[in-house]
Amino acid sequence: MRAVKTRCCNVGGRCQTLHMNTPQLGPGPHQYCTIVPPYLLVRLAKLDDPRFAQAAAAARQSLLRDSQIRQLRGGAHPFPYSGARTLPARTPGQSDRTISDADGQERLPGRRVRAEGQPAGSDPAVNEAYTSLGATQNLFWTQFGRDSIDGAGLPMDATVHYGKQYDNAFWDGERMVFGDGDGQVFNRFTISPSVIGHELTHGVTQFTANLQYQGQSGALNESISDVFGALVEQHTKTQSTNEASWLIGEGLFTDQVEGVALRSMKAPGTAYNDDVLGKDPQPSSMAGYVETEDDNGGVHLNSGIPNRAFYLVAEALGGNAWETPGRIWYDTLTGTGVGRASDFAAFAAATAQTAATLYGIGGAAHDAVLRAWATVGVLAGPE
Amino acid sequence: MKVIVSRSGGMAGIRLTWEVRVEEQPDPATWADFLNSLPWDDVTDSEATPDRFAYRIRCAPHEVVLAEPQVNGPWRDLVNRVKAANGM
Repeated sequence: MRAVKTRCCNVGGRCQTLHMNTPQLGPGPHQYCTIVPPYLLVRLAKLDDPRFAQAAAAARQSLLRDSQIRQLRGGAHPFPYSGARTLPARTPGQSDRTISDADGQERLPGRRVRAEGQPAGSDPAVNEAYTSLGATQNLFWTQFGRDSIDGAGLPMDATVHYGKQYDNAFWDGERMVFGDGDGQVFNRFTISPSVIGHELTHGVTQFTANLQYQGQSGALNESISDVFGALVEQHTKTQSTNEASWLIGEGLFTDQVEGVALRSMKAPGTAYNDDVLGKDPQPSSMAGYVETEDDNGGVHLNSGIPNRAFYLVAEALGGNAWETPGRIWYDTLTGTGVGRASDFAAFAAATAQTAATLYGIGGAAHDAVLRAWATVGVLAGPE
Repeated sequence: MKVIVSRSGGMAGIRLTWEVRVEEQPDPATWADFLNSLPWDDVTDSEATPDRFAYRIRCAPHEVVLAEPQVNGPWRDLVNRVKAANGM
């Protein structure tokens, strides 16, 4: 085998250095490049207009080939790959969900109750988890060409009915876990698709930028989960930026709580104002940045700042937020511009760079990104 | 003597605090013995994981911060007792 090194840096193209053995190219590092970004390929592949049949077929082929390359890229945890081994047959982009039931215990994974392809049962928590995991996979695959959490078809596992009256949902590094809520303040956590999208996105972040869950990098980790959680809901409901609620966890509070959701991306700090819970403490700009030792340095509070920046980009550009704004955020998360210790300013600069690379310096997208981060006080205003 | 348990984080990011004044409890001596028996100095730092709760437990002169998976054994017992004394 011959070591081949290729290099390309087209506008809109994607380049990544790989350090692994591949059967075609021999020992790494290698640059893998595709000129057409995956989201365009996906859009082309879905065209059913007969005039574009050939382009659609070619795009579908390219996506299949691409997905193998993305599997090789493997994010933060590439799997070993040797030339002699053949990959197991699997259709890229197809979800592989397993829902388990903890039966009120705090033991994982619990009893397996629904596997991929099995029909819905009578338990709403199981059905909601299954459906929203599918919706999340659908968003990441069709819009960003990402195959599951790790980009390589990792099975999506979730456990419902965790603990007794457990007021939480979390990603434990391997699976999503959902409590039933206490019935007084919180309903079951599977009730909100944005919560399920939020948890799964923590997995995506773990396999990509792996932002440390503390302080500003932690608040970015939280915000990215809110961004893609909101996009899962909007994409499923086919809601444009103007039509969407931009709420995270809508329906999660019981009727006894004075509040509509856990967080508002459009207007951080306005999601609830309740006698027992107090007022939504999220700041909407750096002027209100919360310094605290609790909550890992306020990761669920200060996430309001980057959340609003994303909303402002979507508002400025109009249309569907999972398109241009989502693409900018996704490419930034999975690119080389952000890493474990990135703070708000570094992430903001990286999104601006991504917008300039994808849509042109000084273009509407680039301008919207710069203005959004300036409005929330993270970057200085445009000249 | 009082013990304060503060829970922050979680997916909702809502902070809740429960407090117990030991001398106001029906069994203050049992409470005091229990609080003194806790392994205050054995708590180690733990890597934060997304959306788990973080517990801050204060009982002067002690203060510890526990990640949710660390709230086991006597700590779990403490949190449950403090919540129960607050009618939770």
